[in-house]
Amino acid sequence: MSENILSGRGVTKSFRGLTAIQDVDFDVPAGAIFGLIGPNGAGKSTLFNLITGYYPLTRGEIRFSGESISPLPTYRRNQIGIARAFQISKPFPALTVRENVRVGAMFGRPGGSDPEKVVDEALAIAGLEELADRTAEGLTVGSLRKLEIARAYATRPSLLLADEPCAGLNPTETEEMVNCLRKVRDRGTTVWLVEHDMKAVTSICDCILVIDAGQKIAEGTPQEVVADPKVISAYLGEPLEEQVD
Amino acid sequence: MNRTLALLLGAIVIIAAALLPIWIGPFYTRVIQLFFFSAGLAIAWNILGGFSGYWSFGHTVFIGMGAFAAAHIAPNLGLIGTGPMSMLVAILLAGLFCGLFAAILAYPILRLRGIYFAIAMLGVSQVAGELVNNVGWFKGGIGVFLQTPLPAGMATEDFFYYIFGALLLLCFIISMAVRNSRFGYALLSIREDEDTAMMLGVATERYKIMAFVLSATLVGILGAVYGYSVGYFTTYTVFRLDLSLNLIVFCLIGGIGTLFGPIVGTAIMLFITQVLLSRFLDIHLLITGAIVVVIILLMPGGMIGALRKWRRPKERSSTVTAEASA
Repeated sequence: MSENILSGRGVTKSFRGLTAIQDVDFDVPAGAIFGLIGPNGAGKSTLFNLITGYYPLTRGEIRFSGESISPLPTYRRNQIGIARAFQISKPFPALTVRENVRVGAMFGRPGGSDPEKVVDEALAIAGLEELADRTAEGLTVGSLRKLEIARAYATRPSLLLADEPCAGLNPTETEEMVNCLRKVRDRGTTVWLVEHDMKAVTSICDCILVIDAGQKIAEGTPQEVVADPKVISAYLGEPLEEQVD
Repeated sequence: MNRTLALLLGAIVIIAAALLPIWIGPFYTRVIQLFFFSAGLAIAWNILGGFSGYWSFGHTVFIGMGAFAAAHIAPNLGLIGTGPMSMLVAILLAGLFCGLFAAILAYPILRLRGIYFAIAMLGVSQVAGELVNNVGWFKGGIGVFLQTPLPAGMATEDFFYYIFGALLLLCFIISMAVRNSRFGYALLSIREDEDTAMMLGVATERYKIMAFVLSATLVGILGAVYGYSVGYFTTYTVFRLDLSLNLIVFCLIGGIGTLFGPIVGTAIMLFITQVLLSRFLDIHLLITGAIVVVIILLMPGGMIGALRKWRRPKERSSTVTAEASA
């Protein structure tokens, strides 16, 4: 595998004694679509919050392109190339879709081309051109999710963290979202995807990390992970000793 | 709107405003002067409160501070004189002082969000007012004089009409430049969702401080000129809580966060209170209050917000149906 864009070693986060993430190691290969799955409450969103700097690490280290990012505040982490699309959409409701994306294009990673070009590109990737002049307030869930991706992509990241972009979407919208993420990857941005929809995950991810109760339980290609007994038991529970008829 | 048309319209408004004092009497010159002053304050408040969403309930602290800074700083630096330069220097120093004060105040106070910031500013303005009133050196209790270097043959009201007019224009141009800049987008994103703004690479702390300092500087300059325009003032002439609240009402009526909202709101409210209700002094506050309540209920986005909805009926009907089905 090529070099890793993001690596974690012994990543740990405790909230007053409750350990949400414990000694998790991970390596995200550059140019991949990397999947993170796990049951509810496994610590997936917490891990994203640690990477974006929303919470400080309790222990361990996260390196982005070889550099430790622990001392950097959230906005600096975005400026060096880490973007995030939220699970619960957080649009700027009073601004239009275009203006929402423009904030990302005007800030984010410095340099690059004209912000307006970036805005157009991001809107095209997410398929939001027709909604560009609508305020974000009245958008459907599907459009809001696309807006999350477009706005994050507009910051010109080298790594995009997508937190359950398909949650609550219908099959058509899920399909569109999956295509959208592929386009993002094809343009050179590594994608780290958290997802519940196993079909979406297994169809587009190059490799998958599985966590449960804050600990890593499996890692590998989609086929390997799906066949892993630990993963099956985490999702479906232990096989019952006695059959209930 | 077409850019040339907008420029042309702006030029016509400016020329008309410049010629107006010839036809109207001293009373209306003073009313319009008050409008220029208040609209300038509202615009300055709107840069912080409207764009970045940090509502200050104590913005008069910078009016008072500007006025007293104009009275104390320049003379104490030995820059005494009565020429036109003395006034200019005093006003600029007052603006600078307010900006500096805001920059220092920003570190503790801008960490507070929403209503906590609003109340903290209210506290700051009350404390500053009491200090100026009770510490002998400031002469807030007995009052201070500021002598205006009036050009020969010019009436006082005309002089301040033009100065406040020019300052309003300055505030408006600055506000417009901010709104359309990267800085402006940073402020809007902070207002809409500060945490998300950070996630998009916006250095929120820095932009909040910049907005606070800019707003305070403009209000400080206006306050200093106001000090000159009244000539003699005590603490309670310039540290006025009612003015802090009026600013917010002006912006609310016109449309908070919009470019023209503060001007429109100030014009409407001053027209109502100074012109329409000038004959009903006993009940004019009652009527004003009722009007404010009605406008806020009918047009939560202010005049500009209502105008926008009216121009985009499609969007309105779609949100209405969404609300109905919800």
